[in-house]
Amino acid sequence: MDFYIGLLQIFGIHTLLGLSAYLLILTGQVSMAQAGFFAIGAYMAGICTAMWGWHIVPALALGGLLSGVLALLIGFPALRVKGMMLVIATLAFSEVVRLFFFNFNYTVLRDGIPIGPIGAEGFRRIRYFPENGWTTIEVSLFMGLIVLLVGGALWWADRSRLGAVVRAVGEDELAAQSVGINLTTIKVAAMTLGGVIAGIGGGLYAHMTTHVEHLNFGILLATFAIAYPILGGMGSVFGTLAAVVFVQGFLVEGLRFLGDWRNLLFGLLIMLAMNVRIKQLGDVRLRNLLRGLFGLRRRSHAGA
Amino acid sequence: MNRKTWIAVMAVASMLALGLADAATAAERIIKIAGFGAKSGVVRSFGVNAEAVLRAATDDINNSGGVRLGDGSIGKFQVDFFDTRCNAEEGISIVRRLASADYLIAVGPTCSNVAEPVFGILQAKVGDSSDTGLQFPIFTDGAIKGGLAKISEWSFRNVPSEDAMYKALFVWLAEKHPDAKTVFGGVEEDFAHSRFTWYSVMKERSVQAKFEVVGEAKWLLNDTNFTTQVREMKKANADIVSISSHPFTTCGVLKEMARQRVKPRVALVGLTSSSSMETLNGCAAQAEGIIIPTSFAPTNAKAQRVAELTAKYGGSADLHSTAAWENVEIIRDVIVAEKVMAKPETVQQDRRRMRDGLAKLKSTAGLMGTIARTEDREAVKPFVYATAKEGAWVVLYDPAKASALRTTGETPALAFLPQR
Amino acid sequence: MADFWLEVADITQSAMDGLLYGSTYALIGIGFTLIFGVMRKVNIAFGAASLAGTYASLVAFQVLHAPAIVVFAVSVIASGVLGYVVYLTCFRFIAASNELGSLLATIGMLLFLDEVTVVSTQGMPMPYPVLFSDTMLFFGPFSLRSDLLLVFVASVVCTGILLAVIYRTRLGLATRVVSQQPVAALLCGISVPRTNATTFVLSGFLGGVAGSFIASSVGLLSPLLLIPVTLKGLVVTVIGGLGSIPGAIVAGLLVGLLENVFLYFRGVTERDIYVMLLLFIFLAVRPRGLLGRLHA
Repeated sequence: MDFYIGLLQIFGIHTLLGLSAYLLILTGQVSMAQAGFFAIGAYMAGICTAMWGWHIVPALALGGLLSGVLALLIGFPALRVKGMMLVIATLAFSEVVRLFFFNFNYTVLRDGIPIGPIGAEGFRRIRYFPENGWTTIEVSLFMGLIVLLVGGALWWADRSRLGAVVRAVGEDELAAQSVGINLTTIKVAAMTLGGVIAGIGGGLYAHMTTHVEHLNFGILLATFAIAYPILGGMGSVFGTLAAVVFVQGFLVEGLRFLGDWRNLLFGLLIMLAMNVRIKQLGDVRLRNLLRGLFGLRRRSHAGA
Repeated sequence: MNRKTWIAVMAVASMLALGLADAATAAERIIKIAGFGAKSGVVRSFGVNAEAVLRAATDDINNSGGVRLGDGSIGKFQVDFFDTRCNAEEGISIVRRLASADYLIAVGPTCSNVAEPVFGILQAKVGDSSDTGLQFPIFTDGAIKGGLAKISEWSFRNVPSEDAMYKALFVWLAEKHPDAKTVFGGVEEDFAHSRFTWYSVMKERSVQAKFEVVGEAKWLLNDTNFTTQVREMKKANADIVSISSHPFTTCGVLKEMARQRVKPRVALVGLTSSSSMETLNGCAAQAEGIIIPTSFAPTNAKAQRVAELTAKYGGSADLHSTAAWENVEIIRDVIVAEKVMAKPETVQQDRRRMRDGLAKLKSTAGLMGTIARTEDREAVKPFVYATAKEGAWVVLYDPAKASALRTTGETPALAFLPQR
Repeated sequence: MADFWLEVADITQSAMDGLLYGSTYALIGIGFTLIFGVMRKVNIAFGAASLAGTYASLVAFQVLHAPAIVVFAVSVIASGVLGYVVYLTCFRFIAASNELGSLLATIGMLLFLDEVTVVSTQGMPMPYPVLFSDTMLFFGPFSLRSDLLLVFVASVVCTGILLAVIYRTRLGLATRVVSQQPVAALLCGISVPRTNATTFVLSGFLGGVAGSFIASSVGLLSPLLLIPVTLKGLVVTVIGGLGSIPGAIVAGLLVGLLENVFLYFRGVTERDIYVMLLLFIFLAVRPRGLLGRLHA
């Protein structure tokens, strides 16, 4: 049981990561910077609890805040580029953050043991949860609460006028501008908020794993951040959540019984999912082909 | 299929597969132990080898009568192996899964960056009720980065002490080559293990052996261009070059050294982890003559048998993988000594007994001789100096048999891990 | 004073080494940029497909013991085939407007191809035929790796061939039409999918050349090559200007050179930070890259 409850923590953390990218993609920005914000939040929150003895809540808040400030700062120059250029620019940002932590040394003595980030050797003993008697269930509930708050706020905003504004920016900038929407405000705000969410996710990650090192925050993590919302279909926050469960629950943990095939199927299934998804299933020929295969001949346009 | 259906399909598929995964059968008198390690990415061979040794060792014990449990009945080992992909979160999930099920103990992981978080989620001090960390013993065979087991009292390691190995190696080099004065280091700077081994082990131990460290070159673990670093090395013209990096970059550097005609006058020293098939596979010609201390070489009948059995199970026996063999034998002995019951209702009690039993050990039997165990749950294993010769590793010198060798003046030449 | 000149000689040597090594980046960059030029989409799996093709040529090397030139040819052909496979799996059946879909599909393919090579070699470094490993050319105090000179020549030749194909053949004309006016191309009876597929095969050939030259210059094939190849390829593509083939070559050489200069002055731990900052500067000051056209 502990295993399933623990798995919820991984779902929660990755959902935050995915939601931070989801928010940006809504405004038409594909950002690989989320891994960088995640790393900043992880290290900052870890420093707060393990080195300064803070409570977890202000630690997460500071981690999120710092990530948010950095996101705000890179939000303006990032506006200059779009599409593929933005992907690569933000990827470069994440790499710079990772390389910064690769060079970052800062330790204090606690009980005679040096604690803190030591360059490539990483940052161990971020053990706030076990040291303070939090059980797995309590940690999962705590994380669930945060995901609920963040996800709920995004869900609500998505359905309000604000959501329409944000999506308008993502769909057609020119049209959005012509009806008086301030593109800069919307895009930079999304970047900042995305940074805050990823930062909080990173803080939780550091406390779940108890040890972080720069290699945890590479390109692969940045890729996952954008993979969740894309895989989830960009319709609502639930899509991202479902994609997280699909990747972390099904592809990673669920397929273990397949042995080596699990690793091979991982990429293959992501690729296939993109090919056989919603819009493609709207294709009449393919739909008819599938119907034929499964012997379903009913006349329906409910799908797609 | 619209979006909602798609979401539902993903959710249902996930749940089905997860349910399937945890359908554990709790048959009696089965001693369940778990192996975990990386079977994906560049470190795949570590996991493959560790699993092969683990299965070979447990089958060997099962076939020779099993283990006598606390109430006199016979228990047989059952091994399940889990792939961590060298990823912290997967490692944590696996250990949570093992602790939730009825596994007695886990052997693994192969990656240090998985060992760190996995040890971190264990209870730091035994009996500390304010610490909610998992109470599950882990006996590591692979992850070698220095000083990991002190993270938790539930974590044990049977990995060679690189500190002891390089201390002896540099002293030996100083004795054998009194005219050698200088050492030049090479380090894979962004890999925790290599970095630790250069700065905290090789560098310090060479200075203690009265060598002067005249410089160090740094590179990253997926670098491919070493011209600048090797030029520094050439300029330093040191008697000994000591390279702390894994096979891929070790080979890259050795190839660049050959190109720039850099050859240390006295000795080329390598990282323990590079005394494997991978180095021979990648650059046997350039690695010729490199000296590496290793805690495994088939120098005796039993070690040879382990190497043969491992090959039969589809792995190669090297200093990382063969620790699993010793771990299984140690686990068997502790089960007998601590009267472990291996019944479904005694799981937690058995785990505690295993932990206490392991903590009590002052020494254990190993494939290469007696292994000393330290207060902080680490091992000091016997070792030999291996060198690459004509596409195979051969034993260059065996410190344990040093006196005998000195009198006869002969060098044991025993090839192992020949190039496939 | 002598020290100063020694230092200058050192820096020059480092810069030259880097410049030469940069030709491998240039080769990869050309492949990325070619696909972008035609489809306006990035193929993240390009490096993975190229390396997988090069892995496939190991069969010729290890099983058939073929000479280096045959091994290289196998690598080129296999990468071309894989280029087509990537086109089919990640672009052909995903709507052109669904850029994110193709992006994620190529990421999936990258992970898949990487894992296939890992499982088939246990992730071990594999030796690859080396071209004149021992031949160094000496100029006074300086030395140059002759195999890297060959890579340099190869990247120039490849560019020449590619430019000839694009500007002198019917296929090239079709490619240019599709990249500039897809709808007009359709109206003129040019098959867009076929033109796109040809581009992928063409870029696959290039990737095969790049993969085998990189493996040969390193002397090893390892899954560890994937991230640097992909990352450097993307960086070079952006700095050179998306879609610009000569730009990719200049940027490849430039990145190689500066990398070694940064390494010389700031050490390996900070080297890549400066490379990324260079990328930022380009994006901020000159988003179209060195030789890119404005609309790119």
